[in-house]
Amino acid sequence: MGTIHLFRKPQRSFFGKLLQEFRLVAADRRSWKILLFGAINLTCTGFLLMWCSSTNSIALTAYTYLTIFDLFSLITCLISYWVMMRKPSPAYSFGFERLEVLAVFASTVLAQLGALFILKESAERFLEQPEIHTGRLLVGTFVALSFNLFTMLSIRNKPFAYVSEAASTSWLQEHVADLSRSLCGIIPGLSSIFLPRMNPFVLIDLAGAFALCITYMLIEINNYFAVDTASAIAIALMTFGTMYPMSVYSGKVLLQTTPPHVIGQLDKLIREAGSVHVRIRRDANEQMVLAHVTNRLYTLVSTLTVQIFKDDWIRPALLSGPVAANVLNFSDHHVIPMPPLKGTDDSNPVTSTPTKPSSPPPEFSFNTPGKNVSPVILLNTQTRPFGLGLNHGHAPYSSVLNQGLGVPGIGATHGFRTGFTNIPSRYGTNNRIGQPRP
Amino acid sequence: MEENYGGDVLAGPGGGGGGLGPVDVPSARLTKYIVLLCFTKFLKAVGLFESYDLLKVVHIVQFIFILKLGTAFFMVLFQKPFSSGKSITKRQWIKIFKHAIAGCIISLLWFFGLTLCGPLRTLLLFEHSDIVVISLLSVLFTSSGGGPAKTRGAAFFIIAVICLLLFDNDDLMAKMAEHPEGHHDSALTHMLYTAIAFLGVADHKGGVLLLVLALCCKVGFHTASRKLSIDVGGAKRLQALSQIVSVLLLCPWVIVLSVTTESKVDSWFSLIMPFTTVIFFVMILDFYVESICSVKMEVYKCARYGSFPIFISALLFGNFWTHPITDQLRAMNKAAHQESTEHVLSGGVVVSAVFFILSANILSSPSKRGQKGTLIGYSPEGTPLYNFMGDAFQHSSQSIPRFIKESLKQILEENDSRQIFYFLCLNLLFTFVELFYGVLTNSLGLISDGFHMLFDCSALVMGLFAALMSRWKATRIFSYGYGRIEILSGFINGLFLVVIAFFVFMESVARLIDPPELDTHMLTPVSVGGLIVNLIGICAFSHAHSHSHGASQGSCHSSDHSHSHHVHGHSDHGHGHSHSHGSAGKGMNANMRGVFLHVLADTLGSIGVIVSTILIEQFGWFIADPLCSLFIAVLIFLSVVPLIKDACQVLLLRLPPEHEKELHVALEKLQKIEGLISYRDPHFWRHSASIVAGTIHIQVTSDVLEQRIVQQVTGILKDAGVNNLTIQVEKEAYFQHMSGLSTGFHDVLTMTKQMESMKYYKDGTYIM
Repeated sequence: MGTIHLFRKPQRSFFGKLLQEFRLVAADRRSWKILLFGAINLTCTGFLLMWCSSTNSIALTAYTYLTIFDLFSLITCLISYWVMMRKPSPAYSFGFERLEVLAVFASTVLAQLGALFILKESAERFLEQPEIHTGRLLVGTFVALSFNLFTMLSIRNKPFAYVSEAASTSWLQEHVADLSRSLCGIIPGLSSIFLPRMNPFVLIDLAGAFALCITYMLIEINNYFAVDTASAIAIALMTFGTMYPMSVYSGKVLLQTTPPHVIGQLDKLIREAGSVHVRIRRDANEQMVLAHVTNRLYTLVSTLTVQIFKDDWIRPALLSGPVAANVLNFSDHHVIPMPPLKGTDDSNPVTSTPTKPSSPPPEFSFNTPGKNVSPVILLNTQTRPFGLGLNHGHAPYSSVLNQGLGVPGIGATHGFRTGFTNIPSRYGTNNRIGQPRP
Repeated sequence: MEENYGGDVLAGPGGGGGGLGPVDVPSARLTKYIVLLCFTKFLKAVGLFESYDLLKVVHIVQFIFILKLGTAFFMVLFQKPFSSGKSITKRQWIKIFKHAIAGCIISLLWFFGLTLCGPLRTLLLFEHSDIVVISLLSVLFTSSGGGPAKTRGAAFFIIAVICLLLFDNDDLMAKMAEHPEGHHDSALTHMLYTAIAFLGVADHKGGVLLLVLALCCKVGFHTASRKLSIDVGGAKRLQALSQIVSVLLLCPWVIVLSVTTESKVDSWFSLIMPFTTVIFFVMILDFYVESICSVKMEVYKCARYGSFPIFISALLFGNFWTHPITDQLRAMNKAAHQESTEHVLSGGVVVSAVFFILSANILSSPSKRGQKGTLIGYSPEGTPLYNFMGDAFQHSSQSIPRFIKESLKQILEENDSRQIFYFLCLNLLFTFVELFYGVLTNSLGLISDGFHMLFDCSALVMGLFAALMSRWKATRIFSYGYGRIEILSGFINGLFLVVIAFFVFMESVARLIDPPELDTHMLTPVSVGGLIVNLIGICAFSHAHSHSHGASQGSCHSSDHSHSHHVHGHSDHGHGHSHSHGSAGKGMNANMRGVFLHVLADTLGSIGVIVSTILIEQFGWFIADPLCSLFIAVLIFLSVVPLIKDACQVLLLRLPPEHEKELHVALEKLQKIEGLISYRDPHFWRHSASIVAGTIHIQVTSDVLEQRIVQQVTGILKDAGVNNLTIQVEKEAYFQHMSGLSTGFHDVLTMTKQMESMKYYKDGTYIM
């Protein structure tokens, strides 16, 4: 019975609220199935823990922890249903999707901590190997295996399915993929089952069961009790291997890092932005620049905030003293560098900020690229001589944008064709409407 | 396993690097070489079994001398190294001399290993081709091993060696153990025996280790002699010359030996036939066939087809060599009816043979290099471009001592990490003293407690890493800086403590049901020691706790310095900072809290042990122990809940509770700014201990200067504690541009709605 306690306890302080939310989730039909599986899981785990203590086998204990991990994944699934129903509250202004990520992270970390515990126990067992009773070993293995597989295959666990696909492959998966590639060379039909990558959970369940079967065999035949400890270590290592990439992936989401799939595209965009010389005169239209930048980054980042930053505004402000010092803290802002503007003669404190290459947006939760973006600041300087970058320019377009924004060199990379090359015509019409002031 | 994509594909010899995969030379042409190779390997196995029998009667040095003599004789006949080819300079002679010495040493090791662990195991261990060993070593010692397959092969190889070492119940072990330091024929063998005895392993295991060593030496020797063989004019000529030189080298030793010791051999004449077979099978035939095959086939194929028959035939002979049927095969019939108890087949040997075959198969397969590259972009044609240079750049890092020195310096630079580091050192010291004493007194309780301490130390190590990493500079991936790692580490530490509490709880419940008898006499000193160590830790950390409030301004400020690029606005930034801290009221960050709680939990554990020991010894209450641990589990759990809750809130990007009120006030103030119509999407969250980040979109009337508005809003929100703010200033024109640029219907719809509202506001303001 101790198994629930592991998860429920942290939330006990707002137990009443929990119950209320639970009722909310339980109202949904889909969650009934999960609750049913959870109940079965609890009984199953109880039996397995009993058998663990009766057989005294640590390998079976390590395998039982996988069942407990299944329970966590069911809870994660429930949480993801709950998250879908909740709207953002004022305190949690981004909504609750991140809770899903946190649940995945917590359950993978808990599984790894369990594996660490197993490693410690087996290190102690190497010193003094106790006797293993094989009576319930095989039964326990097959009960756990069939239950795990049944849960994995019958419940569609959205968060874990996403993470296991998005995270990098574990070493176990890599080896299996490598083996099955050569196997599929012989029997091509199998490629549909094995090839791209197997489900890591199914894989670790099967591998653990296999290790337990070998343990059973060797103990039955030769009384090699040390095999039990060895296979416990093997299962623990496999658990580490499986869980580690997933916890790294979800941990990176929690750390508000730039998701890897965005960074490539973003690099391209920033490089593009580097060649787009956003030049704004003192009277230039800031709003148009903003619109363009937003339009470009909009596809990548769902919640986007762009701050425009004018050079010539600061200089007087700086001179004017305390107000500026209070306001302008550019330390953590990211600056899209403007390559050709390297007039070092001007020792402007702002533009001489060490330019960080780019400002990739952090990922908010799974599958929603970068809500909450870190600030993108376009440095636009207008006192500098300009013209280096225009030699590969797009003459008609820049003439359209002559008003305030020069955008040369667009369309060189294919990634933008969809988004941008059809714009000039449309933009040209809008231009007249959109800019009442000369 | 093989990837023969059609044997009939036209390709030149050595076309291994083709487009789709390795392409074979038409197999018919190769068949005769493969058959020849297999047959040779089979004969080599026969020869080695024969030489094992010979070595029982002939002294090892004599044996090698005769072997080298015979080989030199035949090779001189075949190669004519003196009459053909260019003349050899003096320097080359010196090199050949060295080559011969190395060759002698390796064959000495090899045959000594043969006498120790029998022909079957020798064949399994020593008959690996160079390519197998080289790829094994590259997997083990370099990071770019060549994919998971090679790793698997290396693992199989190691498992096979371990099987031979641990699971092979060789019967000869017992026999040899009877006369461990008995009669040894010469000083050399005696030396080797003492060396093996010094290692503390059985002779047979020593043989295994010796053979592994010899194998590595052989590979190095072959690689080193490649250049010399080109200089001299071919591997065959070098071999012939080297054999002659080694014969000359061994000659005096053999003469001395045969004078000083009496020979066990009855008649040398009866040994001529076996010696001839050994010389032909083991030395000459094998050498020539391998050199032919390596020319005609690719190296990896040669290795693969060569290793398989020799292992199989070794297994077969291992089973049938002393069998009556094969007696006819044996050239030396002397020991025909000898009991076959030595070096027989055992389960471990069979398993390791299977693993050796598998690993040789995998490791000898051509490696598919260049699979790992980082995508750096797209070419103008749209094909992806990869960067394979990453490895080369990463490997050019600094030396290890310097790395250690620098990281130590980094650790000691700041208060948090320094404290954790010192405490970790203390803890590790205690652990190792405990482990050492436990091993010395052979006390299991002490050792297992030591392991427990190590388990706890992992949490400290994680805290140390987090404290270090949190000061790293922001990168492209971690665009806000690494400060958040401390929170994540605190969260993980909290989970760790929950797990510990859970296990303690389970254990104590189990003991409550079935209380075991305890042996308490060893517990008290250990737990008192642990208590002292942990109390020191608590003092250090709580010292930091109480002082951190006063010191927070300075330390946080400096940390902010390190990973941000301040240009100006320092003075006020510091003010805003201390302000936020004052309202936060938490001196410690999550990481330090986690570590502190960990130490606290350990202290509680020690106290619990002491209390329960006293209770048991004084009153005999055995129930006290589980009750104590139950109590401790609950205490640990309750103390860790707030930490987890706080870390969760930060990780979920909650509005920082300590800033909540001020932010509301600030937002209300925001609306009073002149020219500001409305704001949307206000998001504020605590990023790390020192950074509160926020984003907001504001809509302004079209006649307002954007930068002035930005300045005003930033000022207001900074007073509310937000020190990393992004503001998007939107005017009506923006929505019009966006509606022009954006393609989706829904986007346009929402935009126009926003515009409508803006117009409404604008009208309103105009009216007002």
